[in-house]
Amino acid sequence: MPLIAFENLEVRYPATPVPALKGITLQLDRGIVGLLGPNGSGKSTLLKALLGLLTPSQGSGNVLGVPLGGAEAARLRARIGYMPEYDALIEDASAYEQVAFWGELSGLGPEAARDRAHEVLYFVGLDEARYRPVSGYSTGMRQRVKLAQALVHSPELIFLDEPTNGLDPDGRRRMLDLVLRVHAELGTGVILASHLLGDVERVADQLVILDQGQIKAAGSMAGLRKALARRVELRFLDPLDPTQEAALAELGAVLEARNGLYDLELTEADPTAAFRWAQAHGATLVQVTPRHDRLDEVLLRALHGQETGGN
Amino acid sequence: MPIYAPSLPPAPDLRHGHPPAVVLMRFDITRLLRQKIGRFFGFAFLAMLLWKIARIYVDHLLNTNQAFKPMQDFAKTILTQGAAFQADLLNPASYLLWFLVALVGGGLVARDTLYRVRPLIYAHPVAPRDYLLAKLGFASALPFAILLPFAILPWLMSLLLAGLNGPVWATAPLRLLPAMAISSVLMGSLAVGASSMASTPRAGIGWVLGLVLGAGTLASMIHHLTGFRAIDALNPILLAEAWPQLLVGVDHPLVAWVPALVGTAAHIGLWTFVAAKRTKPSEAVI
Repeated sequence: MPLIAFENLEVRYPATPVPALKGITLQLDRGIVGLLGPNGSGKSTLLKALLGLLTPSQGSGNVLGVPLGGAEAARLRARIGYMPEYDALIEDASAYEQVAFWGELSGLGPEAARDRAHEVLYFVGLDEARYRPVSGYSTGMRQRVKLAQALVHSPELIFLDEPTNGLDPDGRRRMLDLVLRVHAELGTGVILASHLLGDVERVADQLVILDQGQIKAAGSMAGLRKALARRVELRFLDPLDPTQEAALAELGAVLEARNGLYDLELTEADPTAAFRWAQAHGATLVQVTPRHDRLDEVLLRALHGQETGGN
Repeated sequence: MPIYAPSLPPAPDLRHGHPPAVVLMRFDITRLLRQKIGRFFGFAFLAMLLWKIARIYVDHLLNTNQAFKPMQDFAKTILTQGAAFQADLLNPASYLLWFLVALVGGGLVARDTLYRVRPLIYAHPVAPRDYLLAKLGFASALPFAILLPFAILPWLMSLLLAGLNGPVWATAPLRLLPAMAISSVLMGSLAVGASSMASTPRAGIGWVLGLVLGAGTLASMIHHLTGFRAIDALNPILLAEAWPQLLVGVDHPLVAWVPALVGTAAHIGLWTFVAAKRTKPSEAVI
C-alpha cells in the first residue's frame, strides 16, 4: 500500500477563486520524502490536506489507505505525527508534561502517555532537562521536543516542517541523524518539508517539488540522481553548423548552447556516445564535462518551467 | 552532548485514552494550578463563605438562647428568611468571580494563540467542537465549582442547626444550583469568546473586562436615558446576579424573566459563535 496517493487532487480555500492545489497526481511509497517549494507554493496546504483539515474540492486521495475528507479523517490523525515549523510549545510546561499531553491527545491513556513521554524524550536525547519548563530551552532542545511530540504515539507517518530551522551545523547533523533513525529503526514514513536543500538531499529517498499549487517534479532521489548523471557539457573545437546542431538531438535534449559549448541531457547515461556522435558527424569534440548538478539546480530548473521526472 | 536512547519501543494501544475535550480541560486545570492567582482568590472566597456560615450560626444562637433576646430583635432586621436572603447567598461571590473569570478565562484561548498551539492540537484527532467544549467547559466549571460551597454549605449547616426553621430554605439548592449553572455558562462563554479575539493572555483579560464593563455601562446609559428597563439584560453582571433572584422568586429582581432569558441566550449564543469562528481549523494556520 502506498503511503500517499493523490489523483487529480484540487484543494480550495473558501471564498478564494484560485485553487491552492490543483491537478496533484502523486503516489509516494514508504520512505523519507523531501517536499520542496518556495513560500506560497502550497506545501502547507498539502500538509493540511494530508492531515484531513481541508477537504478536496476535486479529485481524490488517500493517506495510509484512508480517503481524504472522509469521516475517518480525525482517526487518521492518530496515525500521523506532525512537527510544525514554528515553536508551538507550551512555554510554562516542561517537555515531559507537554509530550505526555500530546500523547494523551493522540489516544494514549494518562499513565501510558507519561511512560511514553519519558521513552520518547530519551530517544530524542533530552534527559534530565525534560523536567524544566521549555521556556529555558535552546533552539536545538526545542526542536527535539517538537520531534518527540510528533513521535509519542508511534505514528506510521510523520510530517516534519523545517526540522533544522535555526540549528547550528552540529545540531542540524544530529537532527537529520534522528530523522534517519526514525525511519530506519521505527519504520515510520517521513515527509520532510524544507528550504534547506542539503538536508533533503542528505536524508530523502523521494522528492516532490511544488510551485504555485502544482507539482513541478516528483520522483525517487535515485531516479533524479540518475537523470542528473545524464547532464553533460560538450565543448567542440569549432562551432557546429546548423545541420550538426540539429543532429545533436540524436544524443539527447539540448538544454543550452553558447559559443561552441552545449549543455545536454543525454538519452542514455553514457558520455562516450558523444564521441561516437562527433565521429559520425565530422565534428571535433575536445571535452565532455559531466554536470554534477546539485538538488538546488534541479529545484531551480523545475521552478523555471523545465519539468524534471525522476522516475 | 545529548545521550540518545538505543531505540524506541512501540507505543501502547491508542484506544485507552480519555476523550480529547477531557484531556484538554485537564491540561488547562493543571496550568491554572501552576499559577499563583489561586492563593488570593482562595482566601477571598473562603472568607466570604465563612462569613455566610457565621451569619447562620449567629442567627441560630439568637433564636435559641434567651440571653440574646435584645439582640434577637435587632437581628431580625438584618437576617431575613425571605427570598432575598437565599438569592444573596451567591451574589457577593459572583462579583469577585467575574474578576477571576477574566483573569483565568481571558488567557484560555489567547494563550494557545500566542504559543501557536492550536494548529498542533488540530493535527491530532481533535475536532473543533472538542476544543470549544473543553474551553467552555473549563471556563464554566470554574465559577460553578467556586459557587458550589456557597449554595451547599450554608444550607447544610442551617439544616443541621435549626432544621427547617433556619434562615436557609430546605429547597434552596434546588433553586440556586440551576441559577449557578446558568450564570457560570454565561461567564464561561463570554470569557472564551473574548479570549478567542485576543492574541495574548493579557489582551484576553482586557477583552473580558472590557466586554463585561462596556456592556454594563452601555446598558446603564440606555436605561437611564430612555427609561427602558429591559435593556439591563445587556449587562452580564446584572444577568448573573438576576438568575438566583429569579429562581428563588425575589419580588423585584434586577432583570425580569423575559429579558433575562433573551439576554442570557443572546450572550451565550453570540460568544460561543465568536469562539467557534475564531478557533476553527482554517484560522489555525499551519
